[in-house]
Amino acid sequence: MASSCSQALRHHVCKSSRILQEIVIPKKKTWSKEAVLQALASTVNRDPTASDYRFQDDPYLTPKTSSEFKLFSLSQESGRNAAKYFISTYPKYFQKDYAQPHIPCLMPETLEAQIEEVSEAALIERIQMRKVKAAVDLYDQLQQAGTPVSLDVTNQLLDLICFYGDCDPAQENVPEQRNEETEDVQDEPQTKKGRASKASDKLKAAWKENNNAERIFALLSEPNTHSYSALIRGMVKYGAYSKAFSTYTDLLNNQLKADVSTFNALITAAPEVKEKYNEKWELIVDLLKQMAEQKVKPNLLTLNAVLKALRRCGTVGKSQAFPVISEMRALSIDPSLASYNHLLSIFYKPGAPFQGQTDILQEVMNEVSGKSFTPQDPDDAQFFITAVRICLDTKDIEQAYRVHELLGVGENWRLLGNDFQQNIYHARFFSLLCMMENIDVVLKWYRDLVPSVYYPSSNVMRDLLQVLDTDNRLDLIPQIWKDLKQLGHGNRQTLVEELLTLMAREKQNQEVQETFAECALDIKKMYDTGDRGKVMMSWTAGSLSDLVSVLLAAQRRQDAWEILKLFKTHNRVPSEELLDKFLTCIKESGDVNQALELVQISAGFCLPGTPKLIQRVQQEFLLSEQQKSMLSDLEIQTFNSD
Amino acid sequence: MATSLVRKTKLLSMVSSQLNSAACFRNIHCTAACLKNRAARIRVAKGDKPVTYEQAYHPHHIGHRKGWLSQHTSNLQGEDGAAERVVEDVFIRRFMYGTFHGCLADEVVIKRRGNLLLICAVMIQKLLPSKFYFLIGYTEELLSHFYKCPVKIEMQTVEEKVVYKYL
Repeated sequence: MASSCSQALRHHVCKSSRILQEIVIPKKKTWSKEAVLQALASTVNRDPTASDYRFQDDPYLTPKTSSEFKLFSLSQESGRNAAKYFISTYPKYFQKDYAQPHIPCLMPETLEAQIEEVSEAALIERIQMRKVKAAVDLYDQLQQAGTPVSLDVTNQLLDLICFYGDCDPAQENVPEQRNEETEDVQDEPQTKKGRASKASDKLKAAWKENNNAERIFALLSEPNTHSYSALIRGMVKYGAYSKAFSTYTDLLNNQLKADVSTFNALITAAPEVKEKYNEKWELIVDLLKQMAEQKVKPNLLTLNAVLKALRRCGTVGKSQAFPVISEMRALSIDPSLASYNHLLSIFYKPGAPFQGQTDILQEVMNEVSGKSFTPQDPDDAQFFITAVRICLDTKDIEQAYRVHELLGVGENWRLLGNDFQQNIYHARFFSLLCMMENIDVVLKWYRDLVPSVYYPSSNVMRDLLQVLDTDNRLDLIPQIWKDLKQLGHGNRQTLVEELLTLMAREKQNQEVQETFAECALDIKKMYDTGDRGKVMMSWTAGSLSDLVSVLLAAQRRQDAWEILKLFKTHNRVPSEELLDKFLTCIKESGDVNQALELVQISAGFCLPGTPKLIQRVQQEFLLSEQQKSMLSDLEIQTFNSD
Repeated sequence: MATSLVRKTKLLSMVSSQLNSAACFRNIHCTAACLKNRAARIRVAKGDKPVTYEQAYHPHHIGHRKGWLSQHTSNLQGEDGAAERVVEDVFIRRFMYGTFHGCLADEVVIKRRGNLLLICAVMIQKLLPSKFYFLIGYTEELLSHFYKCPVKIEMQTVEEKVVYKYL
């Protein structure tokens, strides 16, 4: 047995030694230079107490309202532009190169063209510097001098002209003067108007007749695909749709093939040239068939162009959208966020009632969840806003959470858009939360988002107050008031009046009432200070009464008395219940003089409830002879005036 | 008397010739006076001059009660570029003093981390925040292009200059 054991052992050792001999050395892993930084960054979440990374970490320098946010980021940008101006005006001081390896973006850029003589190289240089007019002039000079310009360079020139619409691109140093409203960016039509006006400002230059592009194109002896492509795309970009189609027919007549970007442009232009839905669709199908005939492979932008065109096709769009996507999938073109955006817009038209298509959003979210997207199409940035708008309209909080979760996956945060779009997204998300969730969840999101990421407008704050009301957490009102002041909404009359009404409605327990009284006095200060042209609020009878009620409920009779005097100064009439309440309060302290003054005030306003007040005073208070006579005089007076 | 004079001159020439021999050779140094015992010290005066913490402690307190205003690695063994860093620092300090004129509450601290040049400054809240941001953007961009490395400013503001004592 021992021998067999040892034999087995030897066998085992042999085997393992054979295994030991087959060591496989794994391939060396190469890490990118930023791998350590990325790993460290993945351990840190967003800090909800800090402001945006652009700003300095100092209370004086942190923006507290959305207008401050915009102002500070724009002033930082304009500082940078000022520095760029100096660097480009005096480049000789910035030529010394310390950096190894060379950092090209920190060298002064040459804004003037270097090559002066009339040659093709000079033309190429001006094209690269994006100087449209200079390039066209140089081309004309070259033509006059008789030097032949190669087709490639002419094509590049055509690209340049058609991209910029035959005018020089606006200088990047001028910060965009946006005059959007800084306050309520909530309402859909308002934001749409704002965006549309900005877009149309940029594309103000429409495609002019016989402009340089067409002229130079006509001079070409043998235009090739690229030339036609540039011309057609320029025409579509600047609104000359029917011309684009006629140029396309020219291309076909010359027995040339179009390339994929030409077809994309034509598909984009298709809804503009036809009126009826099915005609539009037939034109698009026709174009796609021609694409197949010419053996041009469609790409992602083709899919997105088709879907975007289907948005304008009404019911036809709804029936054709899914087949299009599946066909493109078969060609191994995966939809991007822009495709999903167009899909959602086809099925959920803003403002239209829903006919039971609520599951499309769910299907889209099922497709998209957990994936990280890269920007592939300019319309990718619209996805999140559209998705959250649909969630808001259909009141679907589950999908909204999924959309928000998608934002946290990988690089998707880049696809949320610029500050304006981020604001819209967060506004809609937060409004939906206020509508659907209870106060604890809302407050959790509130503390997470505000004010590090989102500065709510006054409408959204009103929604928040409604949630407080619904869930009976009115004791949080003083905190919300502090936030309101900080956000710059402290002087909005409707919001403040609503606050006062909520505070005055019911009697709370003692500590809460105390905090309410402090808050109410703070609010009163907002009415008084009108410094530096801030919007002045005016007292109404309702707001004054609410203020007095709150102070009375907290047993602050002296302050309430001051406010009561304000009725006269601001020409407002107090209600009878208010004076009744006040009298009850005075009775508790037993101050007869004040009671008499109250009655006189009531008489001064000629209130119909004055006799009752007088009766109450006579019954409930111990009056001296003088006071009794004064009261009876008043009684007669009021009796006579009735 | 004449003989004593001749003897004295002879003695002098003998002494000077001995001095000129290689054994005892003395050079003359010509530099500006360094005044190492007067640099960076504010002398005690009547008692009405406000002085910050940085100004109150003298250079021999650096490392004991004060930190360093400029932090880089070129003073370590085997590293070079110390002189260039000093020149850069001087330029940056003058630049900050001039750009944020009247706003600096204390000396500028310059830290270098790898390629990054970090300028830490404490400012008085003399300007509006938007003006501060304009100057910050301008400084960062200009100095980045000048020194060909990323320059970042970290700013803290105080209401007034923080006085440590009155000298």
